[in-house]
Amino acid sequence: MADLAELAGAAVESALDNEAVEAYAEEARRTEVTAHKGEVEGLTFAESRGVGVRLIATGRLGYAYAADPSFDEVRAAVARARENAELATEDEFNALPPAKPIEPISALFRQDQAALATERKVSVALDLEHLAVSADPRVAKVDQAGYGDAVSRVAIASTAGVTAEYGRTDCWTVVSALAEQDGETQSGWSFRVARELGELDWGSVAQEAVERSARLLGAVKPASGRLPVVLDPFAGSSFLGILAGALSAESVQKQRSLFAGLLGEDVGSPLVTLVDDGRTLDGPAAAPFDDEGVPTGRTELIAHGTLMAFLHNTYTAKRGGTDSTGNAQRGGYRSPPGVGTTNFFVQPGATPVSDILRRAEGGVLIQDVSGVHSGANPISGEFSVGATGLRIQGGELGEPLREMTVASTVPEMLKGIAAVGDDLRFFTAVGVPTILIAEMTVAGV
Amino acid sequence: MLDRELSGQVLRAARARGGSFAELFVEERSSLTIRLDDGKIEELTSGLDRGAGVRVGHGTSFGYAFSNRLDRDALLEAASAAAAAVAMGTAGQVVDLRALEPPVVHRAKRPVEEVPAAQKVAWLREVDDVARAFSPHVRQVSASYGDSVQRVVIATSDGRWVEESRPRVRLGVQVVAGRDGIIQTGFHGPAGLAGLEFFQEHPPATTAEVAAKRAVTMLDAGPAPAGEMPVVLAPGMGGVLFHEACGHPLEADIVDKEASVYRGRIGELLASSLVTGVDDATVRNAWGSFSFDDEGAPAQRTVLFRDGELQGLMYDRLRAEKDGMASTGNGRRQSYAHPPIPRMTNSYILNGPSKADDILVSTERGVYITALGGGQTNPASGDFVFGVSEGYLIEGGKVTSPVRGANLTGRAIEVMSAVDAVADDFDTWEGVCGKDGQGVPVGSGSPTLRISRITVGGTGG
Repeated sequence: MADLAELAGAAVESALDNEAVEAYAEEARRTEVTAHKGEVEGLTFAESRGVGVRLIATGRLGYAYAADPSFDEVRAAVARARENAELATEDEFNALPPAKPIEPISALFRQDQAALATERKVSVALDLEHLAVSADPRVAKVDQAGYGDAVSRVAIASTAGVTAEYGRTDCWTVVSALAEQDGETQSGWSFRVARELGELDWGSVAQEAVERSARLLGAVKPASGRLPVVLDPFAGSSFLGILAGALSAESVQKQRSLFAGLLGEDVGSPLVTLVDDGRTLDGPAAAPFDDEGVPTGRTELIAHGTLMAFLHNTYTAKRGGTDSTGNAQRGGYRSPPGVGTTNFFVQPGATPVSDILRRAEGGVLIQDVSGVHSGANPISGEFSVGATGLRIQGGELGEPLREMTVASTVPEMLKGIAAVGDDLRFFTAVGVPTILIAEMTVAGV
Repeated sequence: MLDRELSGQVLRAARARGGSFAELFVEERSSLTIRLDDGKIEELTSGLDRGAGVRVGHGTSFGYAFSNRLDRDALLEAASAAAAAVAMGTAGQVVDLRALEPPVVHRAKRPVEEVPAAQKVAWLREVDDVARAFSPHVRQVSASYGDSVQRVVIATSDGRWVEESRPRVRLGVQVVAGRDGIIQTGFHGPAGLAGLEFFQEHPPATTAEVAAKRAVTMLDAGPAPAGEMPVVLAPGMGGVLFHEACGHPLEADIVDKEASVYRGRIGELLASSLVTGVDDATVRNAWGSFSFDDEGAPAQRTVLFRDGELQGLMYDRLRAEKDGMASTGNGRRQSYAHPPIPRMTNSYILNGPSKADDILVSTERGVYITALGGGQTNPASGDFVFGVSEGYLIEGGKVTSPVRGANLTGRAIEVMSAVDAVADDFDTWEGVCGKDGQGVPVGSGSPTLRISRITVGGTGG
């Protein structure tokens, strides 16, 4: 089988004199095991590879990709990208990044994980389900219990001199537990990722999913009102997704961000510092370079409530007269790079969660929100989402609540942050500590 | 793409250790995507995907392996990997492969490859012009054109051989309108399992107008009311609700995991007697249709509710075998890279006896919803939430001012039982449904209908 870097190189070699050509080649080997009722429910092995070609000629961009291509098919993809470029609009900011020195991150690839036996993966999935259904008599089954992992490699080459390559290992477990009592069913989930099995605490994933489903049993609809709201890290991570889109320079330049024109202004409470860091090993998204070969880095987007920066790739940086922040991102070889977050998180504060609960007397802790992708408008920042959670009484978690909706706007929510917890937790590449919002509209009826 | 002899060998290798069946799914997909944004044709992407997946079933479990290589060695290797998931047993049989006749064929009258990309670019330019001319408040227009042809071959150890070509087209427009610091968006994106003749019935200019009107109208929106009230859903929107709140809990894998509010309740009255709901993959050229599902079962129409009474579930092969039922042709997958699971196709609430105007006139106070932003359901409890992207107040039997920031929450059985009027003006809505990390094209549809009481979440108190 052809080497990834050689395939990418073949695309670059077929560039004509007036063309800038970049090839992004990737391959991955994945395994997924799901368990149900003490048996393996599904076992999936996957091997995939592909090459995507970006071609720029006289400021026009064309793209083409092919799955598991031969050298000839890579050259054919260059020809299709060339045809496509002819129909695109000329844009002076279309450019490939120049080659820069890349500092490797050796901790991303773990040899032991890459060589992990299938039997071991199966035993983890079975154990995960067993732990989930034996922790609490009210939780006798799971909706989902699974282990998955991937060993992957990326190679990028371009006529601008980029030749970058790296490999990584990732593994994860997910549990969605079902708690039942008196004909009522509640579900709760948890999820963790790691770079090797030895660092993946699957027992706590099972434990959390069980607790989070069982504590919702007996949930009632709350009365509507304006209340203090505590977002636990699970719920907070859903909201952070709205912010990610609004902080991309692509959204800002296209007048599609609620933060457009607000650089240097106060957009949140002084307690809020929001960071994107593509190199920190605390988050799972660490990588030596972004999806167009620019070295990753750390960007403070909001510092103590002040909007400091946006996320850039090479295109948006050129258009905005600045430098790429190493945030080019693409959905694999099938698409050209856009702008996206890496490890994107709220800097943890100093307040213990117990203090936050004491300060939220009579309010609600939101443990899960649904409908953020549909109930939130990323451009206006308005949202109204469904939620489940618990009443806060005497500094403790009390009565469970269901069929709530919380409604506000992102700017109001950011300004209303009254405390930031010390318990930062990453979910995939998004991390949030527990957060107290002074007041929000909670509707239940 | 593949001959029957090699397919037979792959199936035999997959059954080397037994199992209840083996299946080979081979796919080749060519696609073109064109994106217009900010007045520019930003990008054209041509794609060529291909790959094969081998599945071995044993009870309700399975082993699955796929590769995007289609050569003999890669296929036999995938077959062995899938077989390895099955406990050691004696080799299973593979019956001679015989081609099945499709129950319905979805032809592209004007195949996408016969029209140059320049024409498709011109449609997007027209969309940009029409949307911007709609109102001075239109600030930004983004639009995408996509076409694809997916060719599949499916072979199974019980002798099924299926070949199908699925042509798909979609043109979606998003418009951003702004005025006095208020920003609103509107989206419209009709789609079909068809060729370019689809755009005669759904002209790009009309799609642009619908999206622009949605965004501009919402600039005048006030805060949505909060509380329980009657809600009237415009044509198509009841189908979106039906898909999320009823459809997902009726997928047999959800029921099998005892995570469905409908489990064990077939034959009960669980919706208003005005509600008859079906899942129908045979609707010609509809976005969620096909000739065969991704396990090679013929497309069919399945009645889910008849006059409010729950009739049955949507089955794929694994769950059908477990329950001693026949597959209902709902085994679908995003691509060769995914094992099939029970999925909806086109889920419709059928026409009822009322007229839409009469329904509105007889509603004293409530909310009229013309676009839902998608939603989520907890199938175990039936709890759902939907964002409302275009909605209006109903006051004194008339649709009045637009409202923003609303959502709908409720529980499937209660809400479907609260349907107290169903009109005769059926229409559809197309989307991509996500489940277990797999997106598949689905259609929804319904006439105008009213829910007598449902919780509207808003900021207006």
